[in-house]
Amino acid sequence: MGGSLLKTALYVCAAALLMLAVACKPATEPQQKEKPEAGKVNDQVSSELKSFEGMEGDISIAGGTAHIPVMEAAQKTIMTAYPKISITVEGGGSGKGVEKVGAGTVDIGNAGRPLTEEEIAEYGLKSYPFAVDGVAVVVHPDNPVEDLSTAQMINIYAGNITNWKDVGGADQAINIFTREEGSGTRKTFWSKLLGKGKIIEDASFVGSNGEMRLAIAGDPGAIGYVGIGHIDETVKAPKLDGVAPSQENAASGAYPIVRKLYMNTKGEPSDLVKAFIDYIWSPDGQQFCADAGYIPYKPE
Amino acid sequence: MPRALKVFGWFAAALVTCAVLLLVAFLVLRGGRALSPELIFGDTPWLDAVSGQKPVFDGLWPAIVGTLALVGLSAVIALPLGILSGVWLSEFGRGRVGRLVSTSVDLLAGIPSIVMGLFGFGLILALRRSFAPDANTGLILSAGCIALLVLPYLIRTTEVSLEGLPETLRLLGPSLGMSSWKSTWHILLPAASRGILSGAILAVGRAAEDTAVILLTGAVASGGIPRHLTDHFEALPYKIYYLSANHRNASELDLAFGAALMLLCLTGSLFLLAAWLQRSLEKRWAAER
Amino acid sequence: MDRGIKIVTGAATAVSALAVLAILVFLAVSALPLFESGQFGSTLAGGWQPTGDLPRFGIGPMIAGSITLSLSALLLSFPLSLGICSFIMGGAPRPLRTFVSALVHFMTGIPTVVYGFLSVLLLVPLIRSATGGNGLSLLAACLTLTLLILPTITLMLLARLGRFDNALKLSCTALGMDEAQTQLKVLFPLAKKGMLAAAVLGFCRALGDTMIALMVSGNSPRWPDGILEPMRALTAHIGMGLATDTHSPEYRSIGAAGLVLFVLTGVLSLVIRSLGQENGEERRVA
Repeated sequence: MGGSLLKTALYVCAAALLMLAVACKPATEPQQKEKPEAGKVNDQVSSELKSFEGMEGDISIAGGTAHIPVMEAAQKTIMTAYPKISITVEGGGSGKGVEKVGAGTVDIGNAGRPLTEEEIAEYGLKSYPFAVDGVAVVVHPDNPVEDLSTAQMINIYAGNITNWKDVGGADQAINIFTREEGSGTRKTFWSKLLGKGKIIEDASFVGSNGEMRLAIAGDPGAIGYVGIGHIDETVKAPKLDGVAPSQENAASGAYPIVRKLYMNTKGEPSDLVKAFIDYIWSPDGQQFCADAGYIPYKPE
Repeated sequence: MPRALKVFGWFAAALVTCAVLLLVAFLVLRGGRALSPELIFGDTPWLDAVSGQKPVFDGLWPAIVGTLALVGLSAVIALPLGILSGVWLSEFGRGRVGRLVSTSVDLLAGIPSIVMGLFGFGLILALRRSFAPDANTGLILSAGCIALLVLPYLIRTTEVSLEGLPETLRLLGPSLGMSSWKSTWHILLPAASRGILSGAILAVGRAAEDTAVILLTGAVASGGIPRHLTDHFEALPYKIYYLSANHRNASELDLAFGAALMLLCLTGSLFLLAAWLQRSLEKRWAAER
Repeated sequence: MDRGIKIVTGAATAVSALAVLAILVFLAVSALPLFESGQFGSTLAGGWQPTGDLPRFGIGPMIAGSITLSLSALLLSFPLSLGICSFIMGGAPRPLRTFVSALVHFMTGIPTVVYGFLSVLLLVPLIRSATGGNGLSLLAACLTLTLLILPTITLMLLARLGRFDNALKLSCTALGMDEAQTQLKVLFPLAKKGMLAAAVLGFCRALGDTMIALMVSGNSPRWPDGILEPMRALTAHIGMGLATDTHSPEYRSIGAAGLVLFVLTGVLSLVIRSLGQENGEERRVA
């Protein structure tokens, strides 16, 4: 029995490998792949990067998922130019970012919302905003609804309106998506758009902006919210009270549901971390923000 | 009635076989399409990547290294602990203490992996508040928690393999005047080696595939190759989870498929190998019992 | 030298045995504030509504969710496992039996995250288009979990049923019974404890799984009320919830969730242990 079991197993593996060989594209074919939208810096080390010359060490970054495209773009250019510097980027949401940097387990904790008084007092955090992002309602691209009012949104998320036809859409149940409790995106959405109204338990929970976008893109009856920087052609952002949720409107104040993206450190940052923060504020970093769909922001 | 059982048996076998083959075929075809050096090394030339000269972005190499490092480290912790415990249980484990220990091991086996991760996370919090304010989640913590997770497998298979040895073999050492230690080391363990090896392979497979523990104890979505024991690290299972929920475009989804395919090949073959080894051990000693 | 080996192995064993105790202590400590303030009961029974007028952090819906999910997966998986077990033990020609047996062994090696991944891509859209709902639901999680625990249950059934002497089976054949009759009339009734143990083991495995629930159940913290509705499992709750402040009530509810899981799986493990022998089998020593 043992022998034939082994033989069977070998046959199965061989068959699988054969299928793989057939299905694989030969590696010599030029592959046209999409690259993520992160900013590209030309091959020469740009002048802003020179500030890292001679530095080495680790920078650990965690927190808001909205920040990730910008953080990863910076990570890539810095680490490629200076392999002695190691940068790790985690998501987890704004809550995790503040918690971790407060506990001292990461160097930079990102949050998509301002720090609270308690947080500053308890952890001794310093805040560095670097971009402006709006939070927009998103629905499936095929959803005919073009405009939603604040009152409608409050009622939808409280569970009072349950069908799209009640707000001018098709006859379909509304599937509500929301973010985990620690999310800065969620906090902005909840306090500014919903006016701190109730979010019904029946909502489905996702853990990041990326997840939210995927969830909405896949479900014709879905409604959710993401940072404006995360909106792409896979989702549709209806107007809120007649105002289109774009970064221009967010910057001008026409679209009121905005928040800044913050980097936070515990106390004064080390030289390396300070260099990173300055890099995000530099023209390179601002380009990364713009590429990711945010409005770069630098405090005076 | 017996007829119905037979028919149902066929039905069940057919249903499950189809389901599994469907899933595997989908993964192999879709993942196979994604396989290429770019999948693993991104834009970085492979020699630079492997020698550690240049970091790899948009490729699975850091996750592969992370998983290997994690598994290796957990094995180093768990193997001696598990095998020695298994020896103790089978040689000295009669009586009340033995039963207590055995119950303890069974309880450990039942603990969900996320609870193990919660334990690891809580451990770091406690350490930070007391002896080691700089303690942090990372490779060594994850490896320790995974070692705890796989310990029961190792203990049980070692114990069972040793117990499965014929009495004559146990008596051989002492009858030749060998001490207990020598007898165990030179006679019993080698004889049970296939079973113990199968347990070790099972443990390795389990360590490679675990996601819930590392979710809480140090895995990150993007972090390069871990350079010391306390570094955060990437790992294949975490990468799959992260990318499946957060992929921004088709090439990131390809990464997830590639990772899933690699992980499946790794663990699938490990588990098959372990099963075969266990079988061959049983066969070898079955006749002599 | 005898003492040497006893000490070394004993030390290793002590570490392994005490690990369980350490884990229990940590969980209890993290949930301690709940005990102290007398909120433990309401945490277990209450609902989860952090944004309501009165923020509540009860994990009751998650407990119900986990149990409902695991029970449904067991109800689907156990009969299938029994069927496959019957098939492998002799309901079919040799090569087919070997193939299915190898397949089941292979299945034990499929990581749960891969099941979750494939399910998100294949099963969830299927359910969504078939029912018009969300797709992320109890049903999706249940079906995927069924596949996950099937090999566990099947292998244990095979092990337990296989303990019976070949002589017993030969006697049955000598009496003119065919394979299926032997299984149905003789083996299964004799192995009742084994079957129960396998079922409990499968349930325990389902209860402890995190990734499938996390990826396809929708994670909605509500009392489970429909097979097509999203729900949240205790394990997924822990996995999601660590984005919070460790001094907050949310974190303590996670500690409570961990404690509940520990106790549940602990009790189940003890049950499995006690079902260790059938009547008339050789006694295991420890």
